[in-house]
Amino acid sequence: MTTLKKILKLRTVVSTSAGMALATSCYLAGLQVAIILVGELAWISIMVAGIFCLFAAMCFSELTSLYPTAAGIKLFIQNAFNEKAAIAIGAFYVILGISMVGAESYLLSSVLTDTFIVFSLNIDKFLWMLVFILFVALVNYRGIFITGLVQDILAYSMLSFLVVVSFYSFGVNGVDISSAIHSSEFTLANVVKAAGVGVFLYVGFEWVTPLAEETTDYRMIGRGMLLAIGILSVVYSLFVVAMYTGLSEEQLVSGSPIPHIVFARNLFGPIGVAIFIVMSILASVTSFNAGLLNTSRFAYAMARDNVLPRVFSHLHPDYATPWVAILALLIFAVSISLLILFSGQYLFIIVMAAALECIIYVVMALCVLRLRKKFPDKERSFKVPFGRLIPIITIIVFSGLALGLFADVSRDYTGEVLFANYWVAVVMALCAMLTTLYTLKVVPIFKKKAALKAQSRKRRRPGRDQSATQD
Amino acid sequence: MASKEDILEALTDYQVQCNNNKRLRRMQRDWSKLLHFLAEDTNDIFTMDVVNGEIVSFEAGARDTPDIIVTTHSENLCDMFWGDLNPSQKYLDGEIRVKATQEDVMRLDAITMIIWPDV
Repeated sequence: MTTLKKILKLRTVVSTSAGMALATSCYLAGLQVAIILVGELAWISIMVAGIFCLFAAMCFSELTSLYPTAAGIKLFIQNAFNEKAAIAIGAFYVILGISMVGAESYLLSSVLTDTFIVFSLNIDKFLWMLVFILFVALVNYRGIFITGLVQDILAYSMLSFLVVVSFYSFGVNGVDISSAIHSSEFTLANVVKAAGVGVFLYVGFEWVTPLAEETTDYRMIGRGMLLAIGILSVVYSLFVVAMYTGLSEEQLVSGSPIPHIVFARNLFGPIGVAIFIVMSILASVTSFNAGLLNTSRFAYAMARDNVLPRVFSHLHPDYATPWVAILALLIFAVSISLLILFSGQYLFIIVMAAALECIIYVVMALCVLRLRKKFPDKERSFKVPFGRLIPIITIIVFSGLALGLFADVSRDYTGEVLFANYWVAVVMALCAMLTTLYTLKVVPIFKKKAALKAQSRKRRRPGRDQSATQD
Repeated sequence: MASKEDILEALTDYQVQCNNNKRLRRMQRDWSKLLHFLAEDTNDIFTMDVVNGEIVSFEAGARDTPDIIVTTHSENLCDMFWGDLNPSQKYLDGEIRVKATQEDVMRLDAITMIIWPDV
């Protein structure tokens, strides 16, 4: 078996998977979990969400071992169901991925405007959002990649930092578990409800699957995802509880989108704020750099496959990067961040991301079952144990969590209703309808055009004078 | 099924097309890689050496440790080198498998796109 000069190591697979999930919006989502449940017991829901995500990760691992390619999700769905479903779901996933860049940039701008204001709050927020999105777009445009070593250093230092801060906070503030256990808020329903939001904490762990092509043993991707979820479960559990107990009642009800900065100020003063700001910037920038990288490459591949307009496949003459796709996604991300800035509804995107992630995990579990039936003898270097049990549990759990999220309402820290979550379902249904319509009505036009073009083109290969065969 | 000779003939043409394309040479000017192409149906392996965007050599057989490994059916390899096949489509369908970094996968596809933009 031929091997590669540069092979990815397990520690980089873990750091990439964990690093993708670790973003500024996680602190806010973590506090949401703590608010729904009793703060000191938030770790229970975080662990439950982690276990659910472990099941989903197992499904991803089996699928990656079947199709170890960067085209991952599209290929899984295409082979399990059909190309149309793959395009529609893939496009939806991309839209949400880039929406998260918008939401993340809003939260990151809130981190900085909380510390100092140059013009006015909203203008500063807008400018910071623009700076971050443009910076990441520029990095992508120039084709600068974060190397494995840099990813390792960033992810592991952030994780260690959060653990150390958590224990320090426990030492300073203490944790009263016994009274929390007797709280009326500590119910099974609330544990599950909080776990639904807790799933958001792990969003992005599966973005490591495109790295399958850089490994020699595909099982490493599966192992990496499982380890990353395990590490994240522990780190989030510690930090969310520490953050909750480190905030005063007034701060908890203030509705700040950046509770970790308030927490840092309480614990360490201005120096703590500065450290947390740097950590936030690193976490967000690496996370949405990967978001833009994956979505722009996906858009490029879709354009090459005649699913999106050909213009998205234009490459920069010097950097070989898909600059049109990057520009289009940049405009989309800025639009979303503006929408969030004016509406203030950053939670809407977070709930939507959590719900979509649940739906994607259901689809992946369905793919596992369907592909086992379609290709029972195809070699799998990893197979989810216990037969169909785990994929079925994944389907039931994540369907339930998604439905639970839609049936709920989003509240601020004072308990006031911000919006009914069925509006999230409505927006998602509209998005799904649009991507389905696009797949059914527009994609065939592009495909037909490409087929006609191919028919009129002579094959170059000698002895093959018939027209080129393209889809 | 394409024979070893068919693929070598295709590679000869591919080398000329790549090396004579100024736009491609500019884009790939800092791209130096050793590639292995594996025809899974015939088990033939081909080695290609790219230095600063120029294909300096290719040969039948595996030489050294590669940066990129492309595995597919011999017919796909042949069609790809003749520019009769869109590698992206085959890649997205899982017919072409690439072991490389994401950047190298993209650069590999870029070659076909620049030389034969209508494919």
